[in-house]
Amino acid sequence: MRSTSATLFDSEGEELAIAARGVVKRFGSRTAVSGIDLSVSPGMVYGLLGPNGAGKSTLVRMLCGVLRPDAGRIQILGWHVPSLRVQLQLGYMPQEVALYGDLTVAQNLRMFARLYDLPRAQIRERVGELLELVRLSDRRDDRVAALSGGMQRRASLAASLVHRPRVLFLDEPTAGVDLQLRTALWDYFLSLGEQEVTLLVTTHLLEEAERCARLGFLQGGRLLAEGTVPELLEGAHASDLEAALSTILAEREATS
Amino acid sequence: MRSLLVAGNVLRRVMHDRRTLLLILLTPLLFVLLYGYSFSGDPVELRLAVVNEDNGLASVRTAEIGRVTLEVGLVERFLAALPQGRFRVLQAASPEEATALVEEGEAWAAVSFPAGFSNAVVNEALRAGGVRTATVDGRTVRLLPSDAEVDAGLCLHVDDSNPLVSGAGLVALRSAVDAAVSEDGGGLDAQRIMDVRLLYDGEIRSLDYTAPGIIGFAITLISVMLTAVSIVRERTGGTLTRMLVAPVRSWEIVVGYAVAFSLVAGLQAAELLAVSWGVFGIRVAGGVGPVVLVLVLFVLGLQGLGTLLSMIARNEFQAMQLVLILLIPSIMLGGVFWPPETMPRVIRGIALVLPLTHANVALRRLMLAGRGLASVSLELAVLAGFAAAMLLAGTWAMRRQVRGS
Repeated sequence: MRSTSATLFDSEGEELAIAARGVVKRFGSRTAVSGIDLSVSPGMVYGLLGPNGAGKSTLVRMLCGVLRPDAGRIQILGWHVPSLRVQLQLGYMPQEVALYGDLTVAQNLRMFARLYDLPRAQIRERVGELLELVRLSDRRDDRVAALSGGMQRRASLAASLVHRPRVLFLDEPTAGVDLQLRTALWDYFLSLGEQEVTLLVTTHLLEEAERCARLGFLQGGRLLAEGTVPELLEGAHASDLEAALSTILAEREATS
Repeated sequence: MRSLLVAGNVLRRVMHDRRTLLLILLTPLLFVLLYGYSFSGDPVELRLAVVNEDNGLASVRTAEIGRVTLEVGLVERFLAALPQGRFRVLQAASPEEATALVEEGEAWAAVSFPAGFSNAVVNEALRAGGVRTATVDGRTVRLLPSDAEVDAGLCLHVDDSNPLVSGAGLVALRSAVDAAVSEDGGGLDAQRIMDVRLLYDGEIRSLDYTAPGIIGFAITLISVMLTAVSIVRERTGGTLTRMLVAPVRSWEIVVGYAVAFSLVAGLQAAELLAVSWGVFGIRVAGGVGPVVLVLVLFVLGLQGLGTLLSMIARNEFQAMQLVLILLIPSIMLGGVFWPPETMPRVIRGIALVLPLTHANVALRRLMLAGRGLASVSLELAVLAGFAAAMLLAGTWAMRRQVRGS
């Protein structure tokens, strides 16, 4: 990995939790992500909004360091990606369930916790806490394959949180999760933000996007608009997010 | 008939997956080509250690002019009579050295022509009644046997660990001896003068010879498949991604897999040996421990290979096909069913590159000859090198695949 020493800062000189500059990814002839810049400050809940195939997951996978960009630079907490220092602080919930179906929920969580060298007592406590959060305490000794789709995603979320990451990437964390728990999970995400955890969440649901401190609207591998919800509304002269997005899309089509 | 619809759909999916299509067409071709080129059934270039202490001269009496010395050169005749390509002759200084070569597996057989061999054979022939003449200084003389009793014994040490090879090799050797001796007639033939000593007293059955090869092959197939399919599942299921996001290095994953499946393979090896020995009475002369050790070392390399294949394959099906196509040359050329000694030179060169060939040599030497780990140090080194190279390649492929493309 090429290493450049310069750390990326935002305009106020504050160190960024997530910084991407000119990130490009092509799959064959198709460009999935074409030159994206992204800046997320520490403790912010940042929403990446966009339709299916917009390049959200590809971007997130590059930010996590599991996919190498064809061009551009990525830093997490001022460190280059991928690096061991970043990996210690980073949590990632991929879109697929990404758990061992033949192991129990608790075994899965313990396995991933132990990858971070956490002490056993701390792991036990943390696993209990997370199972409570995703409401799977009564299913802790069930094999993951035996759980319903929504429960599997909740278990997957718990596995991503097990080491208390400082930067958390959640790829459609609430897909298949019922409405009641979805609200509870978002409350939890926002509380993580208050604990100085930086979150980047992808979604295609507007009501989830509205709860983010900042939003990026991704379409066709490009970041079409970026800002807080009020900024986006004001920029598009719209009264709600849906209208704002339609306006942004229409403007885009008009200019291209 | 919705079966036609199902069939059409299956074929369409196969046609869409170009890699699978290629593998489907290549697999049968590989089988039949390798079989056709490698299987001859006849041993080729068997290493024959020859000790020649004979001076090639025969001292006989004549009816006309007393004693004469004839130049017979039986050993040269014997060497000339060896069938082309069947043997490779190594010169040995003494019978002891030649025998040692056989015992160490460096030569298939050792033949020692004692001092006075030509002399003995000619006199034996004359004594047996062949009335012969020779031309000495332009004069035809009648030959009579010498008075001194001489022994025309020819000592042959044969490695009979492979019944197929030793049977065919002995037939060829006998006819070469016959050809060398028969010119001087007198009812002498290989049967009468050759003293054949079998290294294993003919105790090794075809079953004993094949068993180590089958064990090596079974372990190869099971290990590569197990690793390749498991890692493909981790990859497609996303758990590999989750591990790589954590502060885990690729090599730690590869080595972790290798450790787990080596233990599994150790268990399988013990099981294979126990049944081979307990149920079928397969010879395990060197004890179970060294055999399991060789197999586990071999399996480490196979784990690396499995990792490599799992990174190339897009799904479980492709992984299976890849494993198959890579293992076919090993099955055919690795000395499982027929030994590399019976393969043409070029094919044998390929066989020597296959780790299974070396694993099988080591297993046979341990199980059949039972000479201990020191006797297979070269094979152990080859297998260790294979393990190191494959584990490195697997790690490299994992890093490249997940972080690279």
